[in-house]
Amino acid sequence: MEKSFEDALKELEAIVKELESGNVELDSAIDKYTEAMKLVKYCNEKLNTATEKVNKILTENKELVDFEVSE
Amino acid sequence: MNDKYMKISDLNTYIKSLFDENPYLKKVYLRGEISNFKNHSRGHLYFTLKDDASRISAVMFYSSAVNINFAPEDGMNVLVEGRISCYPAQGTYQIYVDKMEVDGLGNLYLEFEKLKAKLSKEGLFAPEAKKRIPKIPKRIGIITAPTGAAIRDILSTIKRRFPICETILFPALVQGSSAAPDIVKQIKEADSGKYNLDVLIIGRGGGSIEDLWAFNEEIVARAIYDARVPIISAVGHEIDFTISDFVADMRAPTPTGAAEMAVPTISEINNILNSYEIRLNEFTTNLIHKSKLKLNNITSSYILKNPLSLYELKEQKLDTFIDTLNNNIKKRLGNYELILNNLKQSYVLKNPLSLFAVKKEKLLFTEKNLTNHITNTLTINNHKYDILVNTLKLVNPLNILDKGYSLVTKDNTVIKDTKDLKVNDIIKVKFHKGRIKAEIKEVLSHE
Repeated sequence: MEKSFEDALKELEAIVKELESGNVELDSAIDKYTEAMKLVKYCNEKLNTATEKVNKILTENKELVDFEVSE
Repeated sequence: MNDKYMKISDLNTYIKSLFDENPYLKKVYLRGEISNFKNHSRGHLYFTLKDDASRISAVMFYSSAVNINFAPEDGMNVLVEGRISCYPAQGTYQIYVDKMEVDGLGNLYLEFEKLKAKLSKEGLFAPEAKKRIPKIPKRIGIITAPTGAAIRDILSTIKRRFPICETILFPALVQGSSAAPDIVKQIKEADSGKYNLDVLIIGRGGGSIEDLWAFNEEIVARAIYDARVPIISAVGHEIDFTISDFVADMRAPTPTGAAEMAVPTISEINNILNSYEIRLNEFTTNLIHKSKLKLNNITSSYILKNPLSLYELKEQKLDTFIDTLNNNIKKRLGNYELILNNLKQSYVLKNPLSLFAVKKEKLLFTEKNLTNHITNTLTINNHKYDILVNTLKLVNPLNILDKGYSLVTKDNTVIKDTKDLKVNDIIKVKFHKGRIKAEIKEVLSHE
């Protein structure tokens, strides 16, 4: 399954915080930096090609079906 | 005819005009209790409005009365809107009611304050009980009516700001007596964990305080408090405050406001991303710079610059080791040598015959001891024997006989007393030499 934007952003935040904590060795810091930059790119792409999510409504039968506001 | 008495109808008409022209009496709002209620067959309503101090007659004509949505009756508290005028025929002033509604407000207001105080005391509004609204939600739950302005505003705002966010509407009644239990049911459903919601918006559009009342119900407040998912409350307009607003993790002034609080805009996220990028780059540049410095420091260290010195150090250390080793071995060998020498110097090794001499001496000594011992034993025994023999000699009764004594026996019994003898007894007499048999002739005495 493709990584969700939110998960990617959370991961990114975690890496930045980990790096800034100063407990990372150089080799792994570089790896993490590379990974983080990939995540940045991924998030940007995700944002720019953001497709609108369909709204859902919970029916009486506890099913989620597409929902549009009736005017 | 100059008559100073006027007609009653003229007076009443004049008085009516005073009422009708007074701007303050053209529109009057009254709160009171209905009494003497009469529903005229033609549809007009006649009643008295009273409070604890005063009363006023009231009439509501059919044209207005058709608009009221409840059945007025005596004892009911109502809010009325109308004008004050005079009914000249009876000389009474009264209120001509245009609008009338049930006055629930007074009671509702009291109820609201009471519940607010109670829940506040219980800690349901405490800031530390508030959950944080996530900055970037993936899925938002919405509890409101499936039609109307509220849901439309919320969905359009989310779409405008953060279209990649998913929404699930949990439709609920938001008005009327079934609304509160319905909202509670949907809060529990949304919070069941089945939907992975990051945040839940609960609300409805504007309306009268009665319309919004479900959001002032205790069961709704408790359901909001108990929910694990963070909740944004958005009920009515900016000016409307409900219990739900107080207990929710965040209060939004309107449904649109709730959506704005729930999701970021794309540009906000871009800013976050940019800041991460900047922080990453700065950090990494810094790290590399620091690492380079460290490396330089290490490279320029004496050891690395003079690798031979490492070797020298080791050489020296090796020498020390060898010295220590040699010393240890020497010391140990010396010890053995000393022990050996001591052994060699011993008398026994030098004079092995001395071992025999000692044994011989011991043998001789033992032999001599033995001889002495035997001799002694013999001498002592001889001596003991002599003594015994002498003693035996002394105690032998026969030995006494050679001194002239005789031994008298009768029937093999030694006689020591004449009382044991009588005349004609036969006795035997043993002498030192020889024996006789004799007969007792006479016992001379017994002493």
